[in-house]
Amino acid sequence: MAKVLVTVRLAAPATLEGAMRRLGLTEDEVDTGYGLVPVDPGRNLYVLRVTEEAGRRVGDSDAGAADGGPYSDPPIEPYGPPR
Amino acid sequence: MRVLIQLRPSPDLVAAVADPSVPSMTSDVADGLPGVVLDHSYAPVAVPRPMPASPGGDPLSLNQPLVFSMAPQDASVVVRGEIADDEVTSRVALLSAARRDVVAVYADPAIETTLTCGGDPAVGDWHDVERLLRVPDLTAEGLDGSGVRLAVVDTGINAAYVKATRGHDVTVDHERSWNPEGVSGTPGDFPVDHGTMCAFDALIAAPKASLLDVPVLLSRRQGGSTLDGLLSDAIAAYAHLRDVLDAQPAESRALVVTNSWGSFSPRWDFPPGHPGNYSDNPAHPFNLIVGSLAEAGADILFAAGNCGTQCRDGRCAYPDRPIVGANSHPSALSIGGIDTAGTRVGYSSQGPGRLAARKPDVCAYTHFAGSGALGDGEPDSGTSAACPVAAGLVAAVRSRWPSTVLPPSQLRTLLRRTADDRSAVGYDHDYGYGVVDAAGIIAALRRRAAKAA
Repeated sequence: MAKVLVTVRLAAPATLEGAMRRLGLTEDEVDTGYGLVPVDPGRNLYVLRVTEEAGRRVGDSDAGAADGGPYSDPPIEPYGPPR
Repeated sequence: MRVLIQLRPSPDLVAAVADPSVPSMTSDVADGLPGVVLDHSYAPVAVPRPMPASPGGDPLSLNQPLVFSMAPQDASVVVRGEIADDEVTSRVALLSAARRDVVAVYADPAIETTLTCGGDPAVGDWHDVERLLRVPDLTAEGLDGSGVRLAVVDTGINAAYVKATRGHDVTVDHERSWNPEGVSGTPGDFPVDHGTMCAFDALIAAPKASLLDVPVLLSRRQGGSTLDGLLSDAIAAYAHLRDVLDAQPAESRALVVTNSWGSFSPRWDFPPGHPGNYSDNPAHPFNLIVGSLAEAGADILFAAGNCGTQCRDGRCAYPDRPIVGANSHPSALSIGGIDTAGTRVGYSSQGPGRLAARKPDVCAYTHFAGSGALGDGEPDSGTSAACPVAAGLVAAVRSRWPSTVLPPSQLRTLLRRTADDRSAVGYDHDYGYGVVDAAGIIAALRRRAAKAA
């Protein structure tokens, strides 16, 4: 699993830089092209795509700063035609 | 689930059932079995008792000589019935405890061999689908997709191809369409492929809907190949669709999202039970954003998948319960496939789903001659076609019923409640609540409108 997802709660205005600072992530660890994506605006919940190692560091332990994760980012494929 | 129930009633009754000159009925031998809907059209059948030909033999051995006794004190009787799919285990246990004459309960699987499978020729064409969806009646009610945004989250749409094949104009909303990062291309101008099929099929019931082209399956992000994407692309797409929805005026809020894709294999996922898992985990960010978008007013439909037991797609790698992740989301409609003859296609995934057990919700039409986008002479197939067919029907409803008047949860209930049920006990894991029924929907909306007036 090359990349994983982590979630973070940020007050508006949320930025990728702010999320990286909060989580202690470097540019090498984050898919900056993907950016910071809002999951649920009502709950100030956002998602980032990061390396597996970074995901484990910020998400897995109780000390991790992420709201949740690391979550899988599996491939998705069309359901047709049946092969 | 259809079942055969073996009973041992009194010898007099067994003798009557075994006597071909005496007409006997299911109610004579098996009235009032708790939790079983008996099939009274099926005459009870007397079954002989196997007995070893020599003393000490095994009466159930297929490798020893047996004799079969139809003597009333030996024989039993079989009747047919149906038990709700989600109650089978408990009902079977209760039956044996509650009724001493119940010997055993057996599965009664379908033995038809003619289910439509991948590679089979088309069953009917898209005009049949139009007729079955009662498109003229929908149009007469003003339910034609006008003013409704219909997002096709797929491989991109070729609008010129759809227009040429349908013979009607196609509207692509360029401003509200969206590409994942790294995907170039103009909305409505992508190569003809799976997404074009989906667009064509969605327009059958909602010819005036405005299409949003969202080609997430063209993503070339690391890990992607020619025609796949990553779930993270779908999260970003849904975040965009949330902006689209929030910008709509409340009085005309209508966004339908059709998703004919999913995850075939647990290989790239954390295992079920792991907090980062997708397939079984409502807390995964994609499952969260699906719930959030539906709550905000979008109608979200997912294909159930092509992992039906009779002829599953070779890519299906989940050992059981193949309707996974958002394809089984409680806030989305999971769509199974039937052919235009009304029979479930053999590849349509069966429930229960992983996030919500009662999946698929309903079935819609597939495997018909339609867009031809998958190749010359190739049918529009898979639950991939069934999903946009159903999404078109939802978009048609939204022309007159914005989500602020008829919330998505109520519309989902309406589709389930009006579906043409295919079993005796309501919900089943093959057809869900049944086949989408436009006539039932129209009638229900009329009643609702009359009540509101």
